[in-house]
Amino acid sequence: MAELNLGAAAPELFLFLGGCALLLLATTRLSGRLLLHGANLILAGAALLLWLAWPAEIGAAFSGLYEVSALTAMLQMGILLATIGALSYSGDYLAQRGMLTGEYLALGLFAATGMLLLAAARHLLALYLGLELMSLSLYAMIALRRDDVRAIEAALKYFVLGAIASGLLLYGISLVYAATLQLELPAVAAAAADAEARGVLLAGLAFIVAGAAFKLGAAPFHMWLPDVYDGAPTAATMFIGGAPKIAAYALAIRLLAGGLEPLVEEWSGLLASLAVASLGVGNVIAIAQTSVKRMLAYSAISHMGFLLTGIVAGSEEGYAAAMFYAFVYALMSIGGFGMLALLSRADAEFEMLADVKGLAKRNPAAAALTLILMLSMAGIPPLAGFYAKLAVWSAAVGAGWTWLAVVAGLFSVVGAFYYLRVVKLMYFDAPDGDAPAVALRGPYLLLAAANGLLIILLGLFPGGLLRACQLAFG
Amino acid sequence: MTLAPGLAHFLALGSSLFLIGIMGVFLNRKNILIVLMSIELMLLAVNLNFIALASYLDDLGGEVFVFFILTVAAAESAIGLAILVAAFRLRRSINVEDWKGLSG
Amino acid sequence: MSAFEGFLFYAFGALLLGSGLGVIFLRNPVHCALLLVLSFVAAAVLWLLLGAEFLAWVLILVYVGAVMVLFLFVVMMLDLNLDRLREGFWRYLPVGVGVILVLGGQLMAIFATGVFEAEPKSARVAEDYSSAKELGAVLYTDYLLAFEIAAAILLVAIVAAIALTMRRRPENKQIEPDRQVAVKAADRLRMEQISVAPPPAPAPQEEGEDKPAPAENKQ
Repeated sequence: MAELNLGAAAPELFLFLGGCALLLLATTRLSGRLLLHGANLILAGAALLLWLAWPAEIGAAFSGLYEVSALTAMLQMGILLATIGALSYSGDYLAQRGMLTGEYLALGLFAATGMLLLAAARHLLALYLGLELMSLSLYAMIALRRDDVRAIEAALKYFVLGAIASGLLLYGISLVYAATLQLELPAVAAAAADAEARGVLLAGLAFIVAGAAFKLGAAPFHMWLPDVYDGAPTAATMFIGGAPKIAAYALAIRLLAGGLEPLVEEWSGLLASLAVASLGVGNVIAIAQTSVKRMLAYSAISHMGFLLTGIVAGSEEGYAAAMFYAFVYALMSIGGFGMLALLSRADAEFEMLADVKGLAKRNPAAAALTLILMLSMAGIPPLAGFYAKLAVWSAAVGAGWTWLAVVAGLFSVVGAFYYLRVVKLMYFDAPDGDAPAVALRGPYLLLAAANGLLIILLGLFPGGLLRACQLAFG
Repeated sequence: MTLAPGLAHFLALGSSLFLIGIMGVFLNRKNILIVLMSIELMLLAVNLNFIALASYLDDLGGEVFVFFILTVAAAESAIGLAILVAAFRLRRSINVEDWKGLSG
Repeated sequence: MSAFEGFLFYAFGALLLGSGLGVIFLRNPVHCALLLVLSFVAAAVLWLLLGAEFLAWVLILVYVGAVMVLFLFVVMMLDLNLDRLREGFWRYLPVGVGVILVLGGQLMAIFATGVFEAEPKSARVAEDYSSAKELGAVLYTDYLLAFEIAAAILLVAIVAAIALTMRRRPENKQIEPDRQVAVKAADRLRMEQISVAPPPAPAPQEEGEDKPAPAENKQ
């Protein structure tokens, strides 16, 4: 029996036990806001534990189920910070809708635990279980607003499509197991290189790519995403649009770049077609949307196309660029949905394009952050979004995928249109009717400012984070 | 393939069952209960695959995998049915077409 | 495999596929659920054939015994309009069957050319082999992490199912433990200072029904 090394999973254990403690505290008369601070503290504690034991070299724990490495730690840190960001933005929104309960927060912490375990998976079983822990918690978080028809429908749709995706993924895993007889990812990679049953292996690969594409929300497996993003309460949308995207990236990297690395020739072609479809569907359909929330959902699909472009490159540079993209995207997505959540009032959601009109006059601070977010998502220098796109482009070109880089570039020009339309509506249009101004309370103003500043700083000085991403693969 | 059952027969049986499950999801898109049952069929097919492989190729890993898939599938059905019941309470229907709240 | 085992494989394999087809083609969800139970039973027999006794029993006990009962419960609880749920079924059928046949044909071809030549475990192991023992030996050691995650998943399922379906009806009488614990003596017991005039005559001792006796008597 290999060594257990329980300490390796200290952040996950802390997070999970913290979630249990929150569930217990929720039975007392503590206010929801206090519980929210508690959840953020627990997440920060897990991040601190992770920081203190930052691994210097690659190792394994829990008898080979858990990978201890800089890659794991980077992904986990990104997931923890994105979760803190998403929860911090959602305090008022949740409280106004009676959703700021111990259950919601505990499920959020459990989902984060699942994401951390998924990021650290070194074994197909750990990967599957981490994925399910995350997904099941997310379905429930959306459905917790159970008196709202749209939220329940979104939860049901997310659940059904997620379960089908898990089924496809599992069937693919069983075929890979048939071909390699291994479940540990490094051993799978070694056995896949000269597997005799290559046909079975390739069939398994096809099912795995389909399942992972479902989870990422890449076209043509994206049909659930706009409905779920639109129907879910904005706070839940923000939650699933941030950290789980990093986790989905981790899923793709662990499976494709880890276990099925010898088949890179085959899967890069599959991913390239998924990337092109996502870029096309996301950017073109987003133009036709009248709701900002749906527009951001389609923009999420197009961003997944970019992320896949980085993975397609199949080089360490490409993986690192895609990881940088995943972090920057999580930051922008949380900011975008965070604005929608902050500007919503108890009785009225802020989600249509018409609501955005004249925002610059009604709430200059929110408009300023939205401006930064839209420009960054459109990929305009010198913001973080631009640099993330640039890194992916150069990795794709460096690996000989010039045509894909060109397609991605063309579609991002198309995409710039609908981001800039939001800017125009905010700054050059008069508000419809006499919509009352929604002011941002002090702490939220600070949060929004920090979010915007981070996007600018990451655009001006991307070197540090990008180097850390490269080191994780180097 | 010969007539005497071997590993390939079990894998073929598993793939047939999996495809029946996929077809069930595809054909019964409006009836979520049947969709949930079709998902159970898909998972059963995966389990059959794993057990056949573990048995024929003498590796316990496949059986352990099945143990956990069963656990997760039970949790998954509990959550799925809970969401379904919550949806039925609001709409008195499980027909996806009756839900016009979300468009395309 | 012996000829008898071969017969069992074909018989229960056919039963498995037949009941699976029934699940997706029948009209009445109750029948579908019952056929799903039948397919689980057929699968359990196949698993026994493969030497996975423990998992076969788990499938019957946990799956048929608990999960499918939950399914049946929900099916019967919901009052369904069956006709509307079947709309479009026959329209999609040709496309569905076509896609499935192509996919299935490819998979079969792959398996037929595979290199799978071996004997099942049931033919190899000794008489006193226990699959539960084998599983148990690795479950809490090599697969400890997976075991812990599975526990977390079950906790999530409990929390979610309760939070989503439990309704607090106003007429329900419920105990609230936190209020019980937080209660202080002063909430239950009111101290009254009763100035007792110097006793001209022995006052009647038993007069108030809610007068807490010992504390008052000392004064």
